[in-house]
Amino acid sequence: MKLFLSLTVSILLGSTFCFVFWVVASHDYQWEAIAPYWKNFLNGWTTTLLISAAALVLSIVIGALLTAGQLSPHRIPRWLSRAFVEIIRGTPLLTQILIGYYLIADSIGWDSRFGVGLVILSCFSAAYLAEIFRGGIESIPQSQWLSAKAIGFSEVQTYCYVIIPQAIRRVLPASAGQFANLIKDSSLLFVISVHEFTMQARETNANTYATFEAYLPLILGYFILTFPISLLSRNLEKRFAYEN
Amino acid sequence: MRIETRSLSKIYGNTKAVDDVSLTLSDDVQVLALIGPSGGGKSTFLRLLGGLEIPTSGEVIMDGVKLPLEEGALRAIRRKNGFLFQSFNLFPHLTALENIVLPLVKVYGRSQEEATQRADEVVERFRLTDHVKKRPGQLSGGQQQRIALARAMAHEPSLLLLDEPTSALDPEMKAEVLDLIAELCECGQRIVLSTHEMGFAKRSADYVLFLAEGKCVEEAPSSELFDDPKTEQVSQFLRKVMKW
Repeated sequence: MKLFLSLTVSILLGSTFCFVFWVVASHDYQWEAIAPYWKNFLNGWTTTLLISAAALVLSIVIGALLTAGQLSPHRIPRWLSRAFVEIIRGTPLLTQILIGYYLIADSIGWDSRFGVGLVILSCFSAAYLAEIFRGGIESIPQSQWLSAKAIGFSEVQTYCYVIIPQAIRRVLPASAGQFANLIKDSSLLFVISVHEFTMQARETNANTYATFEAYLPLILGYFILTFPISLLSRNLEKRFAYEN
Repeated sequence: MRIETRSLSKIYGNTKAVDDVSLTLSDDVQVLALIGPSGGGKSTFLRLLGGLEIPTSGEVIMDGVKLPLEEGALRAIRRKNGFLFQSFNLFPHLTALENIVLPLVKVYGRSQEEATQRADEVVERFRLTDHVKKRPGQLSGGQQQRIALARAMAHEPSLLLLDEPTSALDPEMKAEVLDLIAELCECGQRIVLSTHEMGFAKRSADYVLFLAEGKCVEEAPSSELFDDPKTEQVSQFLRKVMKW
C-alpha cells in the first residue's frame, strides 16, 4: 500500500513537473520584447515589498487590537471583534478590495490607491493574525494564571510578564506563514491599479503580447520574497518543538 | 498564628468545595496541616485562607483582620503571603533566577540589584546556586519545586501556603523538598499546607484539620489526631494510608 502510494505520488508529480518544464522550456522566448520594461518590473517588485512590509506592521497592530477585543470581559468589544474577524475571514479578499476601494474609500473621498490597498490588505491579514494570537494566548495553561495571581500580579502584569512573552513564542511560526500569505495576497491589488509587481507584469503583457516573458518573472520575484519566510517559519517551529 | 474561619463556604456550580467550616486556631499554632481524601476541599480551603479565592459565604479572619471580598484589596493580602502549588509553578520562559527576581521587582518594588541580591541569598540558603541560570524545563521536578519555594520565600511572607507541594514528585525528590519545608518549619516560618504525606504532617505540623466532602470532620493537635482519632472516618482513612 505504502509502495503503491509513493509510486502514484511520484508518477503524478513527476509527470506534472515534466509537463510544466516542457511547456516553459519549449517556448520561443523573445526576452528583448520586455527588456525595455525592466525598470517597471523592479518598481513593481519594490512596491510589493513596501506594501507588504507596511501591511505587516499595520496588521500586527490591528490583529493585536482584535485579539484584545475578543478576550475582553465586556460583551460589546467581544462581539464587534468577533464580527469583524468572521466577516473578513468569510469573504474573498478580491471582494473586499473592490468594495473597500469603490464604495467605502470613495464615500469618504480617499483615493490613494496605495493607501487604501494597504489598509484593506492589513485588515484582511489582521483577521487571520487575530485568530492566531488568540489561539496562542488561550494555549497558555491555567496554572500560569494561578501562579501569577498567587505572586500578586494584577491582570495587566500577568499579561505583560507571563502570558504574552510565552504566547509570542508559540505564535511566531504561524505568524510568519501568514506574512508569506500577505505578500502573495498583495498581488490582488492590481484590480484597483496599485502599481505593484503583478500589475506591472499585466501592463507589460498588454503592451508587448509577450505573455511568457511578462509573467514568468513573477514566479521568481514572489518566490524570492516568500521562500526565506518559509524557511524562517520552519526554523521557528523546530526551535519551539525543542523547547518543549 | 491566629486563623479563624466562620461558616466558611465555597461553592462551584453545584459542588460545595468547602462547606460551612468554622475553625479557631490559637496563637501557638505555627504549622497547620490539612489532610483528607482527594477532592475533599483541602486545596480550596487553603486558597481561601491565602486570599486566592473569594468565599461564597462566611469569612476568614487572619491575625484579627477580616479578609476583604474585593479583588484589589485581596491582592494586597496575597502579596503578604507565599504560595506553592503541586506543580507548574514557575514561568517556563524565564530562568530560575529571573523567576525569583521578577516578582520582587514588579510586585514589591525593589530595584533590580536589590532583588538580585535578595534572590541570591535565598538561592544560596536553599542550596540551589548551581541551577539559577537554567530554565524550568532543564530542572528536575524537585529542583523546580525548590526554586518555586525560594520564590515564595524571597519576600519573607508572613504566611507560607503549600498546596500538596510534593504530590507530583517521585520519592527521592519528595524527600529533598520535604527536607526544605521541615527546615522552614524549624526556623519558625508560619505554614499552612495540604498534604498526603502523613508522616510529615505528624512530625512537622502543630495542628491538623481533616477535611472530607468540604466539611471539617475532625481537628486537633497533630499528635492527638494521629494517635487517637475521635471519628471512625479519620481512623479508617489513617489506617488505609498508613498501611503500606
